[in-house]
Amino acid sequence: MKKFRLYYDKDEEQDWLQKMAHEGWALKNYFLGVYTFVPCEPNEYIYQIDLLDNWSGDKEDFSDFMEDSGVEIISQWYRWVYLRKKASDGPFEMYTDTESKINQYNRIKKFFQVTLVIEVICFFLEVTAAIRTGSPIFWFFTVLIGIITLAFLRIVWKCNWKIQQLNREK
Amino acid sequence: MESNPPLTEALFYILLVVRKPNHGYGIIQEISKITKGRLVLGPGTLYGAINSMLSKNWIKLYSEDKASRKKKEYILTKDGEEIFYKEVERLKELIQNAKLMEESL
Repeated sequence: MKKFRLYYDKDEEQDWLQKMAHEGWALKNYFLGVYTFVPCEPNEYIYQIDLLDNWSGDKEDFSDFMEDSGVEIISQWYRWVYLRKKASDGPFEMYTDTESKINQYNRIKKFFQVTLVIEVICFFLEVTAAIRTGSPIFWFFTVLIGIITLAFLRIVWKCNWKIQQLNREK
Repeated sequence: MESNPPLTEALFYILLVVRKPNHGYGIIQEISKITKGRLVLGPGTLYGAINSMLSKNWIKLYSEDKASRKKKEYILTKDGEEIFYKEVERLKELIQNAKLMEESL
């Protein structure tokens, strides 16, 4: 079964994958918004999504390490990885202490901040083009990029909020 | 030497269990065993901690078995041992001072 979804919030995405696994659908592959599922026993797997530090450097090191720990890497897209473990092997959480959770949200925040800067630049280019030409196509893209920019802003804000909450727990 | 902030539980236990060469999953299991299952490190937490400790030279690579399986083993360094004992000193002080509570009762 294939499903098309656009997630930019890894926590929501993770919850959705978990819900699918609960209903007997295990994620097998991800590519550009297309999620491929295969049948599994209900709740057979626990899913986690992570963002790697380096996009080329330690990819292999990371996957060897995870495999050694009994964690399966399902799919990788750019720096994002989809991981799972059999639920029968016990609980599975990538990050178990406050420090490492904060680090993860910091990585995600930085990732979206960089993307956000690019989006904002694109947005202003589109606005300029739209005003100059008055073309509806440019206005369409202006609105589209505007929406994406707002979505990314929300994620950066949410990461900040999570980091604050975690810092308070310390 | 600069004064170090208290070690996190994860760092403390990782240093402890790599006094003998140990690999990723072995570290998780060993820590779980000696804490009677109380502390089970997430693989992401362990991976991040190992990389940060390698860069600080608290631990080093012991072996990289390329022939059989790609299992990397880690071992404590002199620096790591020093950090560990400094933390133990701090913990001893806490325990020592905790006795004041009993005395006042």
